[in-house]
Amino acid sequence: MRGRGLKILRVAGAAVVFAGLTAALVDFRGAVPGLVGHTFASIQFVPSAVALATGAGVALACLVVLAVTFAVGRIYCSVICPLGILQDLATRIAGWIWPKKRPRPYRPASTIVRQAFLWGAVVGVAAGWAGLTLSLLDPYSVFGRIAADLFRPAVTLVNNALVGTVGRFTGEALYRVAPAWAGAGALAVPAAMLLFVAGLAAWRGRLYCNTVCPVGTVLGFVSARGAWRLAIDQAACRKCGDCLRVCKAQCIDLRHGVIDASRCVDCYNCIGACSEHGIAYRWSWTRPRAEPATATAAAAPIDLQRRAFVTASAAALTTAAGVGSWAMTRVVAEVAAGPSSAPPADTSPNRSDVICPPGAGGVDQFLNRCTACHLCLSACPTHVLQPAFLEYGFAGLLKPRLDYAGAFCNFDCRRCAEVCPDGALSILTLADKQVTRIGAAQLNLDNCIVKTKGTDCAACSEHCPTKAVDTVPYGNNLRLPQVNADLCIGCGACEYACPAKPRKAITVAGRRTHERAIRRVEEKAKDPRRAGEFPF
Amino acid sequence: MNTRREFFKTGLALGAAVSLARWSRLSAAESPTPVVPAPGPESPRSVLVAVRDGTRTAMVDKALASLGGIGAFVKAGQTVCLKPNIGWDAPPERGANTHPELVGHLVRLCLAAGAKSVSVFDNTCDQWQLTYEHSGIAQAAREAGARVVNGKDESLYREVDIPGGVKLKRALVHTLVLDSDVLLNVPVLKHHSGTGMTAAMKNLMGCVWDRGFYHQNNVHQAIVDFLTLRKPTLNILDAYHPMVRNGPRGKTVNDVVEMRTLMASTDPVALDAAAAKMLGLEPAGVAYIKIADEMKIGTMDLARVEIRRFSLA
Repeated sequence: MRGRGLKILRVAGAAVVFAGLTAALVDFRGAVPGLVGHTFASIQFVPSAVALATGAGVALACLVVLAVTFAVGRIYCSVICPLGILQDLATRIAGWIWPKKRPRPYRPASTIVRQAFLWGAVVGVAAGWAGLTLSLLDPYSVFGRIAADLFRPAVTLVNNALVGTVGRFTGEALYRVAPAWAGAGALAVPAAMLLFVAGLAAWRGRLYCNTVCPVGTVLGFVSARGAWRLAIDQAACRKCGDCLRVCKAQCIDLRHGVIDASRCVDCYNCIGACSEHGIAYRWSWTRPRAEPATATAAAAPIDLQRRAFVTASAAALTTAAGVGSWAMTRVVAEVAAGPSSAPPADTSPNRSDVICPPGAGGVDQFLNRCTACHLCLSACPTHVLQPAFLEYGFAGLLKPRLDYAGAFCNFDCRRCAEVCPDGALSILTLADKQVTRIGAAQLNLDNCIVKTKGTDCAACSEHCPTKAVDTVPYGNNLRLPQVNADLCIGCGACEYACPAKPRKAITVAGRRTHERAIRRVEEKAKDPRRAGEFPF
Repeated sequence: MNTRREFFKTGLALGAAVSLARWSRLSAAESPTPVVPAPGPESPRSVLVAVRDGTRTAMVDKALASLGGIGAFVKAGQTVCLKPNIGWDAPPERGANTHPELVGHLVRLCLAAGAKSVSVFDNTCDQWQLTYEHSGIAQAAREAGARVVNGKDESLYREVDIPGGVKLKRALVHTLVLDSDVLLNVPVLKHHSGTGMTAAMKNLMGCVWDRGFYHQNNVHQAIVDFLTLRKPTLNILDAYHPMVRNGPRGKTVNDVVEMRTLMASTDPVALDAAAAKMLGLEPAGVAYIKIADEMKIGTMDLARVEIRRFSLA
């Protein structure tokens, strides 16, 4: 009964985390409070580690995860990690589609593959590609993109179909929303990952977690040395194989009566499956150097594994150091040489072709810290945040950027920073956000309708929240836009609103390092009426 | 100039005859009395009611009483579309949107007059849910019993011909505007960096899906063109604390000046002309008011308007 209880706890915990995160990520109408997504995202291992390592916040979740893993195993992988839970769902659905009882025999660990991915990640981080490496390999971020980029628009379509069946004016309870599909390039990555991860899960359970996922490898390294581990009571075991049928990780070596704790994700399926109650937690911790007494049969392979591990580690660390110093010299050289291509209209040396969200500090810092989980994309009420494809370059693959073609950044909103779990976006006070210059408006009056057509327009000035874009009298009772660069924060309202075709008359150039705009304070306005209280 | 004006005159007289017949036929299905006659060359003088120094609800009650009560505009069983200005994600005190108190009160009056339904919407400039909520209008309308309808759902718009239009000849118009028996235009008075000012006529830009088309094709003409498609049953202007600079979005409460005024008229041109004076502008200096006058949508010559002035102080 104790075994079933553990499994119920595991499933309940996973359901809560998965439901909360999924709700926040597929939220297509701003219904889920930012705190929900932020909370469940902040307990994820990699975002928390990034925040802690960069000093963006006192993010202790990663240390708690390590401690729990050391104590009782990889509960993180079964309860907290949404990609792990997604794989369990995929395995289950595959089981419904192909219902034959497929045997899941013990398979030895793919130590080489695991370490290749882990050290690949370490080398990537050391080489100054932390943002890209972690965004590709962090299981939470992989899930975030699947949910935000694929599930969210799909759910939106279902919603719209539902609205269609109910009627036209359904009011506020149910309404149509334009599905937020990312561009083809940015969409291809999560789509491929979904197929890959779900395919592996359908085929062999938690294979992804025990080969590709570097978090799984790190936690596996810890859990293999953990205090309490699941163990088989040799006296009770009849070697019936019931546990093998339910094991997701294929980590039960029944022949030797050993469970490979480095791959066990603590799903507790085996405990309930064992009719002899032969599987339970057992105090297993021993001092690292005093272990040969345990199992002579298992000693040789473990030693080999350890040797391979140490060799690989040494090789990887050397490579990392080498690549890291090479990257550093390049950065230094680039800084010395200045930007490689001449900027077109905007002459600021701080110009960037891509615009990153307020709170990021600047493009470089942002790309280093953001793991592209896309929680902010789902939270952004205007959907001005779109996943980049190669706009930032390869290092910025899938990272959020502001796209003013279809929306602009709401002046009074900070939701992206409120949900961000890894400190890539720090929460500015609203007053600070409203003077943070992420870009600067560039006016090209040759394209402006007021000039080209000789009619009023000023849609740019109309939308400008700081009145950096204002109008001045022009021609015969017309108003011509004018930009006061000091006041501009680069929110993109002007660019979005500009109706000039084929080229807009006002566009926003990004700022590589965010700047501070001036807030112009105006006195109380005077009554413009010329005569009396009814001037007519 | 003269021939152009005459062309408009005859064209509009014909157009008005056709369109009025159409609208009265529409409302005839619901009730025997047609909507309030729109002022034209042959109709009696436009009436403009201007009330000051009261609360918004007291002022609108006074204005409506002077015009024959809400029952003169809303009959039992009719569907009402109430179109406030809900353009910007700003709180009521900034004066960027029609005040929620006025919207809520009008919804209650319409329902009390027996309206079958009252729907509220706008094609907002800022993100629509934030704008609906922070303007206070969604909550006020909801609590008063109105349907708050999405103005950002293209499927709720229908493409129609605008035969009287000079620039705007065809447009996607919100079906609430096309199909409701009563159209209540409830704008707010503001300075506007593009058109000089915004009040009654410009507020109807939010009935159309593609705002960009207006800006591309002489915004003033397009604003007036829309009025040839459907003129509001009644226009009620919130000028309690108009935004007198940095419009139409405004920056802070310092941009508004308390004038504690409300005006109502079936003639949107006369209403806008009076509104222009509130902002210290000459009506003829606001291009769309001048065009509307020329196209005989109404009159901007306030000397030809019956103005009923009330002070509740």
